[in-house]
Amino acid sequence: MATLAMTRPTLTKVTGNIGAEVEGIQLSGDLPQETIDWINDALVENKVLFFRGQTFDRDQHVAFGARFGELEVHPFAKHLGAFNTTDDHPYIIVIKSEPGNRNRGTDVWHSDVTWRTEPSLGSILRCIDAPETGGDTMWADMETAYVLLDDETKAEIENLEATHDWDNFRRGLVSAGVPDDIIKAMDAEFPLASHPVVRTHPVSGRKCLYVNAIFTTGIVGYDKEASDALLAKLNRQTAIPEVQVRLRWEPGTVAFWDNRSTQHYAVADYDDDRLMERVTVCGDKPF
Amino acid sequence: MATAALTRAKNPTASRVTGTLGAEVEGIDVSQDLDQEIIDWISAALVEHKVLFFRDQHALDRKQHLAFGRRFGELEIHPFAYGLDVFGNDEADPELIVIDHPGGQRNTGTDIWHSDVSFRETPALGSILRCVVPANPGGDTLWADMEKAYELLDDETKALIADLEAEHDWPNFRRGMINRGVDEETIAKFREKFPVMRHPVVRTHPVSGNKCIYVNSVFTTGIVGMDKDESDALLTRLCRQATIPEVQVRFRWEPGSVAFWDNRSTQHYAVTDYQTRRVMERVTIAGDKPF
Repeated sequence: MATLAMTRPTLTKVTGNIGAEVEGIQLSGDLPQETIDWINDALVENKVLFFRGQTFDRDQHVAFGARFGELEVHPFAKHLGAFNTTDDHPYIIVIKSEPGNRNRGTDVWHSDVTWRTEPSLGSILRCIDAPETGGDTMWADMETAYVLLDDETKAEIENLEATHDWDNFRRGLVSAGVPDDIIKAMDAEFPLASHPVVRTHPVSGRKCLYVNAIFTTGIVGYDKEASDALLAKLNRQTAIPEVQVRLRWEPGTVAFWDNRSTQHYAVADYDDDRLMERVTVCGDKPF
Repeated sequence: MATAALTRAKNPTASRVTGTLGAEVEGIDVSQDLDQEIIDWISAALVEHKVLFFRDQHALDRKQHLAFGRRFGELEIHPFAYGLDVFGNDEADPELIVIDHPGGQRNTGTDIWHSDVSFRETPALGSILRCVVPANPGGDTLWADMEKAYELLDDETKALIADLEAEHDWPNFRRGMINRGVDEETIAKFREKFPVMRHPVVRTHPVSGNKCIYVNSVFTTGIVGMDKDESDALLTRLCRQATIPEVQVRFRWEPGSVAFWDNRSTQHYAVTDYQTRRVMERVTIAGDKPF
């Protein structure tokens, strides 16, 4: 009889601190729970997992994501051109670049949707079409980024909170001609969020730096100058090569990142066709 | 005759690794006595891609490594790589630097963005680095394309730095010597031989004619004619250009990997994220005076 017993996947770390290539799994929605648990553990430990040579369709992508939790519908994507959802697959965000129509905005270090009260757990990004060269994605290990801070800074930020907003999307919505009343309704649905500057991972218990250059607007209780200076310093931790990993995409490459402990950066060094699809797993309230 | 025919028979290829710099070269065994046309091809590819990666060069020994380097110019003997445990000239072949780290250390001196020996009047043209024992995992090297880093500056900054000069010195090696108890007289002799050097902040590549940012975090100590605050602020800003992902390539070493970089147009960073021993050997080609 066919068995659902897990074939043990192999894992190879890509750098000393973050990222692992996983072999021996074809991602789909009907993997045994044991395999899903293995992936979950590997995700928390390595922070981003890379799977090569994956062949699945949109339904399978959604079904695989759903094994890790409720899926997120990105509230702004349906109004935007190059970062879009489709009517029949609201859980899939299509990220498309073309020559002369360079979809940018993600070439800044960030963690996803931190303006939510409960930002996402993680995302599963699939490469459908990659430029021949360029268009890598980088991830930063924000736990190591925290560890590498000096003691004085660690003490300063220990109990601080920061505000997170979605102003970049607001600007995108305005340029896309989205009516004012819709934007006002979104303002009501997604008010300014506040999260700890040092987040504790709900599974590993490890601390990480939880501010980013796109969505974090200020340190609570600091005047603008002090807040800007501290945020700039904390955000620069992502630039340390020891916290980074860099992935070169091929069609069929899938990356699954832990959005709680990482930031990422889509390298804008190409002017070519690039097509990616993303499914995002909902997360919980940072503490 | 037979060797020449063989090396000519393989057409080398260079495959770009990122949108900006770096290429994997296939079809060349660098341990061989290569035809001049292959050497010319490598020289041209080096200027174009700024760093070349040759994989699986398992046959390459120290003598061949040195011989390969000599095809591109005179080799440099690093003036400060003596008496050091982890970065030392080989006794028999002083043009060869052995970099042997036990792992588990940071602040190795090369885990910071820099161009090599810019304190010299004629800094190195390039270096050829061979992986003997890779760290596992970790120990990647990153290179930054300082031409692209220059291009990405705003026009105002480009205008500001167009005719500036900066001072380059070797404070890191001086500190190292003092820590090892090297006597003052010896250090004074080095001072005499290697005085504070001035180079243009914007360097023009002698082959391509392209402009690049030519200041770095290790050796550049000040901008000529600026007070310290102004100079520090400008240097910080210019050095930070190396951290932009669009100017970078990241290379993962395997036994037998060889990287050859153009030290005139790039900076590099040796990532210290590893806990196991890592052994590398480097041969460096002397360069010319920056203009």
